[in-house]
Amino acid sequence: MIRFIIRRLVLLVPVFIGLTLLVFTISHILPGDPVKLAAGPQASAEEIASLTREFGMDRPLPQQYWHYASGLLQGDWGQSVLTRRPVAADLKIYLPATLELVFAAIILAIVIGIPAGLLSAITANRWPDYLIRILSLASIAMPRFFLALVLQLVFAMSLAWLPLNGRFPIIDLPPPTVTGMLTLDSLLAGDWLAFTTSCEHLLMPALAMSLSPLATITRMMRASTLDVLQQDFVLTERALGLSQSLIILKYVLRNAFSSTLTVIGLYIGWLLSGSVLVETVFDWPGIGLYATKAIVTQDFMPVMGVTLSIGFIFVLVNLAIDLLYGVINPKVRYQ
Amino acid sequence: MKQFKSLLRWVAMATVLGAINTAVVPHAQAQTAPRKILVVASNQDVPNFDPHVATGYSASALLRNLYDPLVRVEGNPPQVKPHLAESFSVSPDGMEYIFKLDGKAKFNDGSPVTADAVKYSFDRLVRLKKGNAWMIAGIVDENSVSVVDAKTVKIKLAKPFVAFPHVLPWLWIINPKLVEDNKGSDDGQTWLKSNIAGSGAFMLKRAEPGNLYELEKVASPWKSGGGNLTGAIWRIIRETSNQRLAVQRGEAHMALDLTSEDMDALKDKPGVVSIIEPEFRTFSIKLNTEHGPLADINLRKAISYAFNYQAMLDSAGYAQLMVGPLPNGIFGHDPKLVVPTTDLDKAKEFLSKSKVPNGGIKLTMVHVSGLEQQRRIALVLLDSLKKLNIELDIKPMVWPDMVASTASPDKMADFFPVYQTANYGDPDNIAFAAYHSSRNGNWQNPVYKNPKVDALILAGRAETDQAKRQTIYLDMQKQIVEDAPDIFGVLEKRKLALRSDVQGFIFTPVASNAVEFFPLSLK
Repeated sequence: MIRFIIRRLVLLVPVFIGLTLLVFTISHILPGDPVKLAAGPQASAEEIASLTREFGMDRPLPQQYWHYASGLLQGDWGQSVLTRRPVAADLKIYLPATLELVFAAIILAIVIGIPAGLLSAITANRWPDYLIRILSLASIAMPRFFLALVLQLVFAMSLAWLPLNGRFPIIDLPPPTVTGMLTLDSLLAGDWLAFTTSCEHLLMPALAMSLSPLATITRMMRASTLDVLQQDFVLTERALGLSQSLIILKYVLRNAFSSTLTVIGLYIGWLLSGSVLVETVFDWPGIGLYATKAIVTQDFMPVMGVTLSIGFIFVLVNLAIDLLYGVINPKVRYQ
Repeated sequence: MKQFKSLLRWVAMATVLGAINTAVVPHAQAQTAPRKILVVASNQDVPNFDPHVATGYSASALLRNLYDPLVRVEGNPPQVKPHLAESFSVSPDGMEYIFKLDGKAKFNDGSPVTADAVKYSFDRLVRLKKGNAWMIAGIVDENSVSVVDAKTVKIKLAKPFVAFPHVLPWLWIINPKLVEDNKGSDDGQTWLKSNIAGSGAFMLKRAEPGNLYELEKVASPWKSGGGNLTGAIWRIIRETSNQRLAVQRGEAHMALDLTSEDMDALKDKPGVVSIIEPEFRTFSIKLNTEHGPLADINLRKAISYAFNYQAMLDSAGYAQLMVGPLPNGIFGHDPKLVVPTTDLDKAKEFLSKSKVPNGGIKLTMVHVSGLEQQRRIALVLLDSLKKLNIELDIKPMVWPDMVASTASPDKMADFFPVYQTANYGDPDNIAFAAYHSSRNGNWQNPVYKNPKVDALILAGRAETDQAKRQTIYLDMQKQIVEDAPDIFGVLEKRKLALRSDVQGFIFTPVASNAVEFFPLSLK
């Protein structure tokens, strides 16, 4: 297994080189002039030229790429043309916020989706199954931003149970930053009140984000479970007189979960790159908003930084998922 | 499988505990601000705190509370008031200004604000050529500012510029000692990006980029008076509807980016005060006067008369139609100026004199992708042009692409919509930026040039006699209307919402969303 992990990690190198090349080329051949935009409407041609030199954009593209790639190796992710802030410093702030949201959403999706999928399969073509299937369909069809607005209106405006937006009360000081994820940081600081407060802020955006993966996980789990239930070994276990709950929880769940696990891995990448709508509605200062602003203003370095970090996390998550296959099903062998 | 089951169990427990906690612990009203901390909702982040580099209204808002200028602007109409300079005088030719600094003025490290600090600040701004340096580009150079004595500074202008006092509120004075101690290799830019070296009534207490910025009032500000605020929080709320809800719920005392729909929704809401005031922010559609069919003045005039101005006004919400190139109400504006109104007969008359008397051409309009207001106005234009048998191709573009397209006339679309915010309350601001030919190749004035208009704008800058200056601007407006380089659009009113416990707010039509906190109080 160690060899498998090392080989996968080594394979990351060409993946990242390819990713940097692709994003760098696309972002630099697009029309538009981010330097002129950053220089401001009153800037003279001389000032624009000076800023272009300052950001090295007057050099040939291969030279620019080499400068960027060698900087990456030294931990320099470049600087935003518009804000002049280092991209690495920005990612350190925004990325943990989105990761916290995405992980909370995926945990919610797993915790609700797997039992729902199992229940739906066990009660196939009966009312619980119909109900779960209708809800799943509705969940997939409902746009995330719409659910986000509905949640805000109900739980924040009408019932006033939950905060309207943000990650933490603005008047209070958040827990000391360790991971950048407020829930984890408050636990690490042993601050239970801060933990519950950050959970309150996290609940609605995570729920809105979880809707689509939840529905997919439910439907995948239902389909895989129905498939596994038709297998001979299930018939044998029933013939041996094992209880239904034992068969389902010990044997069927394990076999049915593998394909769902693949979907979970893919969804983490999807949620990371598609968090912008929920982040906008809940003013969650995450990577989605940061990336959108950078894309709209063609601010190359933040776009590159976001793409690389999402790519890196996505690859690592899928490596973890591959390893989990072996944990769930010992028959899986890594070569 | 065992580990997996244990993981599942852990996750389930954590979720249930979280849910129980959420259900049983009533949501702490922690967001409700303490009485003396003003919470301002804005959709704009502040990526840079260097007063000689940062731009944007959010930066202006925070900088004007953290730093002090020589003079400040307040009131409606906007007036220049003494600040760091307790008084100033100007030579009869308008070329030399003498500022007497307030003896009480001190930086927040306790050191006095001296003439040396003023010179240091102006020299740095001129040297960096960033931020608001454009306001004095060519007017103040490295030899302009001289120290007369510790509390007296002289600024000799390189070129005449009557509006000089109006730009001073946006040129801040920094503490030279602090900047020199942290100068580095970039003139202190890295340090000032996130540190403050000012004399303002507030200090930066907390900065969470993308989320909030908290200011705290200094223990004993050098200025006397002011409101009772102990601090202020600049909270970034991107959606305007969320800003509205935050004010409605009392989570924010002030919302700065509201739409007409938000203002309607806030009507009669308890504890909320709506402010809808005209300001000097213009919207117009620039025409490509140098390339393509619109280089023909008769076609431009035909389109100006065919355009449905009422439909544009209806779609703009709280707004008023512009009368000519200058914003209504600003010094020099002529409310009686004769400008094109919707008149199809006149439009057809001009069309018949043009190179395309029967229409039959296709023109292009770009607009900022996602900006609904501009899209609606593009549709109004499309409908208006149909009456002249002219088709319109509407192309949404991201703003950087639009900016890039203004580099030369052949790249620019036929119609280019532009919002222009007045940075200072003087007609020179809009006149120079939007109509002087030195600005060609720039989005504020991509292509229009007329030597006569250029001369009038420069004359307006130099004329110290107010009556003569007024005449110059009247002539300039008439000439621009005659040239028809724009479809004159609307002045959208500034829409702000305040909680009723905010006291001391006075609306100023210049940079009205860059709020000064010092005079404000909370009941």
